[in-house]
Amino acid sequence: MKTDAELVASTLRGSQDAFRELVVRFERPVYSLVQRMVQNPATAEDLAQEVFFKAYRRLDTYDPQWKFSSWLFKIAHNTTIDHLRRGVPETVPLESEEEDRGSLSAVLADEAGESPHAAAERRDLGRSLERALAHLRPEYRVAVVMFYAQGASYQEICEVTGLPLGTVKTNLHRARKELAQVMTSLGWGPGGAAPPGEAETGNARSS
Amino acid sequence: MRPKPQDALNRWLAAEQLDSSESSESADTADAALRELFEALPLLAPAAGFADRVFARAGLQPVRRDVFASLGLRLVLAASLVALSLGAIWLPPALRALGGLVSLSEVVALGVRGMAEVSHGLVLVLRLGEWLYSLGKALSGLLLAPGALATLATCLLVSGLAFYFLRVHISGERSFRYVDPI
Repeated sequence: MKTDAELVASTLRGSQDAFRELVVRFERPVYSLVQRMVQNPATAEDLAQEVFFKAYRRLDTYDPQWKFSSWLFKIAHNTTIDHLRRGVPETVPLESEEEDRGSLSAVLADEAGESPHAAAERRDLGRSLERALAHLRPEYRVAVVMFYAQGASYQEICEVTGLPLGTVKTNLHRARKELAQVMTSLGWGPGGAAPPGEAETGNARSS
Repeated sequence: MRPKPQDALNRWLAAEQLDSSESSESADTADAALRELFEALPLLAPAAGFADRVFARAGLQPVRRDVFASLGLRLVLAASLVALSLGAIWLPPALRALGGLVSLSEVVALGVRGMAEVSHGLVLVLRLGEWLYSLGKALSGLLLAPGALATLATCLLVSGLAFYFLRVHISGERSFRYVDPI
């Protein structure tokens, strides 16, 4: 299997197959990051396409001594932040069967052989997590998604966001606290799951 | 089976309640539990065909496969060429053998005979056309006579009136018999 740097080199030599391989390799993590940042599947698809388009056009500026994923995530981060700064109103998606497909809550609920109660609990937890993520500031959100969901290191987050290490650590700590506050206010906690339906009505925007 | 996210969530929130500073052990526990919670969830994925849409957006043509890239196809083509070459060796004797069966004069005679048959058919068609033309001319001459014209006009008038009265009669019958009483 070719490395990312080899695929980049092949793409620069004109191989479209190599670029396709790069897109296929990174479409899920990039889309996942963008989707959790913008909380809207259609916008996430559009922005993810834009990320790869920009990457293709600027591929000659990529320095192989750095990780390709960090370079790509930096483009994804900048593109998403630009979109959020353009004044497009941030929204928390309404839960419906149609919109729920492919979302965190749907993924959580997709457990074969689960009892209806457990499936409902998973769905509620997924929705609550989505809500909690949506309530975070964008710089907190990107740190949480990269660090906890994608397993990125502090250094990678620094490279992507352009923030110093101390700031990244502080952002992560505060983001985690805010997430926990929102989840607790939505009824989740060590005592047990929120009663189904109660989590839906919770209004716990953190300050 | 995926780990249950509920357990990780409970551990994370319990650790957050104990955590008071960034460097505490509870913070590490919270980090680990939250990471575990997210690890229980697969990455979200775009709809199928994402790479194609990226290519379309970038204005890249879909990759065209070289049909001759396949080694098997190349071997088949090479074998076909060899067979064709060997066949060509046997072609001149085969042609000579065919040439011995039919002479040039026979071919010419056959062509001439064919042309004569076609010409004969054309003559028959022309004769039939001429006969039809003369028949039509004779009929038109008869019909253009004043007596015949008067008879034709009378017949047309009578039949027109007959059709008119028939139509009135049928309409009247229908209006009385077939109107729905309700």
